[in-house]
Amino acid sequence: MSPFLAREMLTLSFQHLWLVVIAITVASAVAIPGGVLLTRRPGLRRSLLGFASVIETVPSLALFGFLLPLPFLGGIGPHTAITALCLYALLPIVRNTVVGITGVDPAVREAAVAMGMTPQQVLWQVELPLALPAVLAGLRIATVTTIGTATIAAAIGAGGLGVFIFEGIASVNTAMILAGAIPAAAMALVADEGLEWIERKFSRV
Amino acid sequence: MTPPPAVLDIRNLSCRIAEREVLHDIKLTIEAGETVVLLGRSGCGKTTLLKCVNGLIPASRGEIVFQGRPAAEWDPFRMRRAIGYVIQDFGLFPHWTVAANAGLVPKLDGWAADALEKRVNLVLDAVGLPPHEFGARYPRGLSGGQKQRVGIARALAADPPLLLFDEPFGALDPITRFELQRHFLELRAHFHKAALFVTHDVREALMLASRIVLIKDGTVDLVATPGEFLSGATEESRAFLASLDGGGRTNESISRA
Amino acid sequence: MDRAKIFARLSALLLGVCLAGCSRQTPIVVGSKNFTEQVLLGEILAQQIERRLGVPVERKLDLGGTLLAHEALVAGAIDVYPEYTGTALTTVLKQPGRRDPQAVFEAVRDAYRHQWQLDWIPPFGFNNTFAIIVRRGEKLTTLSEAAKSHSWRLGVGYEFRQRPDGLDGMLKTYNLRLSGDPVTMDLGLLYSALDGRKVDMIAANSTDGLIAVRDVAVLEDDRSYFPPYQCAAVVRRATLARYPGLGDALRELSDRLPDRTMRRLNYEVDGEHHPAAQVAGEFLRSLPRR
Repeated sequence: MSPFLAREMLTLSFQHLWLVVIAITVASAVAIPGGVLLTRRPGLRRSLLGFASVIETVPSLALFGFLLPLPFLGGIGPHTAITALCLYALLPIVRNTVVGITGVDPAVREAAVAMGMTPQQVLWQVELPLALPAVLAGLRIATVTTIGTATIAAAIGAGGLGVFIFEGIASVNTAMILAGAIPAAAMALVADEGLEWIERKFSRV
Repeated sequence: MTPPPAVLDIRNLSCRIAEREVLHDIKLTIEAGETVVLLGRSGCGKTTLLKCVNGLIPASRGEIVFQGRPAAEWDPFRMRRAIGYVIQDFGLFPHWTVAANAGLVPKLDGWAADALEKRVNLVLDAVGLPPHEFGARYPRGLSGGQKQRVGIARALAADPPLLLFDEPFGALDPITRFELQRHFLELRAHFHKAALFVTHDVREALMLASRIVLIKDGTVDLVATPGEFLSGATEESRAFLASLDGGGRTNESISRA
Repeated sequence: MDRAKIFARLSALLLGVCLAGCSRQTPIVVGSKNFTEQVLLGEILAQQIERRLGVPVERKLDLGGTLLAHEALVAGAIDVYPEYTGTALTTVLKQPGRRDPQAVFEAVRDAYRHQWQLDWIPPFGFNNTFAIIVRRGEKLTTLSEAAKSHSWRLGVGYEFRQRPDGLDGMLKTYNLRLSGDPVTMDLGLLYSALDGRKVDMIAANSTDGLIAVRDVAVLEDDRSYFPPYQCAAVVRRATLARYPGLGDALRELSDRLPDRTMRRLNYEVDGEHHPAAQVAGEFLRSLPRR
């Protein structure tokens, strides 16, 4: 492998990772508290989960395209890609947070309240720890799919491993396509295994 | 000197749930050391009454007076911490050890670490679960009977004046149930607490109660000691007695208590 | 059900399907690459074939790149697509670039015929060379001036970096310095990126519709680094043989699209957002009969 290719593979991999990390972090910051909120307000649940589901149905390239002309969120470059990736990551994280919290044994919740825990204590000491495996599963799903979807970011000038893939397709250069696809797949694999390991650590209950 | 106030005084309590009056004008007093059993058919309101005491269900009229102070004057979380609660499905925190579960309320109350540990060991011993053997285990490895023992230990840990029991032995097999009923009587002798105990099992009521309060359709049908209950003063109590096999064995179950 | 009856019904069904298949002609497949001009030309070719031959035409437009389209043509997945002589010379045939447009055309025509039995119809009439474009405010006119000025943040499509007539040669010929790696994106986004100051120089197409309406300047290739890129239809000989009128229909379009016309058509799609099929149709109808 030429040193230029190796250097560029490293650069693009870091760009790719960066896109994914930012998107997942922002999505989690919104989706986890959002999920907690939805368990407190069942009325909102249908509409907000519905909104996230609709986003999910929009084909990724289309969503990138929709965002392009918008004033702040749009334009060429990584921030548009991050916005799109963030929106996609919302649903799995929110849904799993809701499922995790509502899935807590009602007897446990009842006992916690009856023994005199305040709602904050119930949330932080009982509900969230017990919902953690489900939340982590949601994070894992979101991360793995985001790594894949982030390859599209190259189409709008956001960099990432998709650059190799698109350029490889244009020049029918299989080696180049693989130079983009393999690191992305490896990243997804590592994320999947790593997060699953963490999930298992917290699932002993 | 004025006598100490009753641990619990339920005054003219009514409770409305979804347009239906589930409890109507309940009056009841419980003193320290008493076990008052709320007996009744399914749906009669006995569990609702229990949950009104610790505020899990709001009452629509009347008041709960706990240790001489109306519930409205209590900080609701503090009041709950002063009332033990044992439920049929155990409700143990699966992610906490047995010792941590037992020590929940003292921890919430901010007890010092060594006082807390001593108390947890004490209550675990009292319910028949030696702490060195069971303290570090998790609820999922325990049998139903063991889980409920932890539930009782948890209820006793902060030394509350009042304990509430909601059909605590209903999910256990008959042998374990009998063991725990016997154990309950031992604990009562030792800890001298006021207890409000809900059941639909007349046998259990006769075995455990100092007084039986028979609830029918949201109102008090009869208040009697077990012995008085056997005479069947009301139609509902007679229906319960008839559900025992011929009523012949009841004297034996009382003498065993 | 009785076995004989099942057999009879299946045979009837099979026969019906065969007959239906036989009565349909195999369509002519028109391909194109994936930017506006290519899609427009694909539509023009397709509609021309439809109206002159009355044969069904299948469109496979928006193919992801030069070599992809070429391989599709060689393999027979498409029958014809629009290609540029300079691109064919440097990127497909991997030969060094030349200046004379006629020499380039003849070289590619002969090579394609010899190697792949593909024919080059005489060109449409326009030359779509790589246009290196900067914002007008830079006040530059040639690439040499730009190279002397400062280092550049460059925006490119998916092919420019890999092609022999692309980035590397240009940097070397002009001693152009880049600031950071080039930013890769879909060709259609280059002008927005330039406008939005995400990049300061883009490698676009000289017949782009947006050149006339954006505040940009096309830098002159004063050292003639880029070869001529005359656009023409490249078609399989086998297809020409199978459809006798096809060659004439395609030749009718030769020399009918000068630079300014191509640019105008591109603008109608990119600037005014008319559908390519509609613009193609209007163009064909506007042609005086030969």
